[in-house]
Amino acid sequence: MSQPSPSTLSSSAASPSDVMIEARGVEKWYPNGYHALRGCDLTVNRGEVVVIMGPSGSGKSTFIRTFNALEDFQKGSITVDGITLSDDLRHIDAIRREVGMVFQQFNLFPHLTVLDNLCLAPVLVRRRSKAEVRQQALALLQRVGIAEQADKYPGQLSGGQQQRVAIARALCMEPRILLFDEPTSSLDPEMVREVLEVMQNLAADDITMVVVTHEVKFARQVAHRVVLMAEGEVVEVAEPEAFFTNPAQERSRRFLDQIL
Amino acid sequence: MNPLLRRLRHDLFATPADGLITVALLAVIGAGGASFLRWAFSQARWAVIQANSTLFAVGRYPMDQQWRLWLLTALLAAATGITWGMLRSHPRPDRGGTLWPRNDRIAVGLLVVLSLLLPWMLGLSLSIQLRWLSITAVLVLLRWLAGRFGPQLPAPFKRLLPLGLPLLYLIGMVLIGGGLGLVSVSPSEWGGLLLTLLQSSFAILLCFPLGVLLALGRRSELPLLRWGSVLYIEFIRGAPLITLLFLGQNMLGFLLPGGLAPERVWRAAWVLTLFAAAYLAEAVRSGLAAVPRGQLEAARSLGMSMPQAFTSVVLPQALRVALPSMVGQFISLLQDTTLLSLIGLMELLGTARTVMANPAFLGRNAEVYFTLAVLFWCCCAALGLGSRALERRLDPAAIARSG
Repeated sequence: MSQPSPSTLSSSAASPSDVMIEARGVEKWYPNGYHALRGCDLTVNRGEVVVIMGPSGSGKSTFIRTFNALEDFQKGSITVDGITLSDDLRHIDAIRREVGMVFQQFNLFPHLTVLDNLCLAPVLVRRRSKAEVRQQALALLQRVGIAEQADKYPGQLSGGQQQRVAIARALCMEPRILLFDEPTSSLDPEMVREVLEVMQNLAADDITMVVVTHEVKFARQVAHRVVLMAEGEVVEVAEPEAFFTNPAQERSRRFLDQIL
Repeated sequence: MNPLLRRLRHDLFATPADGLITVALLAVIGAGGASFLRWAFSQARWAVIQANSTLFAVGRYPMDQQWRLWLLTALLAAATGITWGMLRSHPRPDRGGTLWPRNDRIAVGLLVVLSLLLPWMLGLSLSIQLRWLSITAVLVLLRWLAGRFGPQLPAPFKRLLPLGLPLLYLIGMVLIGGGLGLVSVSPSEWGGLLLTLLQSSFAILLCFPLGVLLALGRRSELPLLRWGSVLYIEFIRGAPLITLLFLGQNMLGFLLPGGLAPERVWRAAWVLTLFAAAYLAEAVRSGLAAVPRGQLEAARSLGMSMPQAFTSVVLPQALRVALPSMVGQFISLLQDTTLLSLIGLMELLGTARTVMANPAFLGRNAEVYFTLAVLFWCCCAALGLGSRALERRLDPAAIARSG
């Protein structure tokens, strides 16, 4: 099955109101002059799971970090849930409330208990009552399978458990979009599965997910579409079966040869 | 062989070389200790301390107003007792926790013995000996009450309780200085340990927020704020405190119109504060550098504003890391107050110099300096103990081990 060019395919499926993330011609230079993103386009629809793959240094992490303004960019435009990213700080805060992020290094707050890690932002940012957030946080911990660790500190948990707490922490803000930046890359192999299972369960809900990962099996089973990035460009966007069995681009083929 | 002997032999005489070192050190320690004891009990004339104990404690504070200081001491003892009790009020008997851990029992025992012994040794009158004893009794009683009944207090009351400490500081200021119906006692009449503790506590309390602001300013993205902070920190750290103290005494008078220039004592307190803030800023900066960048990113990605992210995520971690070096700064600040004697303030060292200048106590310098050293050691040890307790409380890993 051959694919048309990435940009036409990515916006074909849904009506405009169902578009959650729309990135157009995003270009980024780092202060040292390195051209990290060279005109990236991507459209992510409501409820969709998009997996971004690519060799290291290809700009995948940088790209998804522009979606919640952790990285700035110099050219192009990004619209998230109808809000266009600009220098306006109110827009950035509004977007960050709707977009959760899970990091490679978990980034849990080590001075707070697991439960307080979950409750901090909803209480501070959404001004919700502590008792109510607590209930929700406990339910979320139940859902990611670590309710019994609620009163421990992050340093007492295994890597896999910490990453599941990080996912629950992001969910506690009730985001409409979840970004995953290599969520399993710093985990021991035996802990990768427990995190992927949690992510797979999430994907069954209607939350929109953009996942940077090297986990081929996860991409095959869970993703609606797979994006391949290389040297700061979006090389190919395709459905997983097509991508893994018959990639349209030569660059994708070379990448798959290396990892499969 | 009995276990104690075996242990001694293993620790001290395991090899011939170990044994030699042990014997040599024992000889040095024995000789040093013996000559110290000979000096302390036969040559030293402690009358100089006994006769001037009030002077060392409060300087030339008016006699008829000294009840205010007694009241303040009693209040401080009460606050100490309540705080101590509240900190111990959640024992976990299932994990061997108790309301009265061994160290607490030792501390209370020491307190009672000292409150009996010291006033007697200083030759104070019976009524004053009784006063010290009752102040100690207040402390111990409240320690027991707070530990026993603290947890049963209503929650809002417990939340408001920590506010009592800053309130107590303000009450203390009024008690010492006058106002609100009390006769005013001018700062030039404060002295001795009272002035030393006032100067250092004022500087410690105020240099902390200033230092944190300077450290944040140094990392700010606003160039003016950043360069201003850097300039300030580097200038202050490049100048000896004593020159700054003289500068403060001379310059503040020129800079501020007559009535506004603070009194000498306050001028010195402000110079100390501004001086310590620069050093504290560097301690906080090293703490900030120890917090990984991902922490701020995680907080921001959860929608927290920059101030929210700093106050609830970055600063608590940074201050925890910086705590030991901050307490080091506080301790040297406490010792630096002795420099105030050079600009004519009657803090501990200044008082000591007037006492030694008194012909009646000629040649009794060793007794005075020794007493001073012990007093300073006590204050610094208290700071160090408090900081270590705080460190343990703030350390998630230690909490994990104990709980």
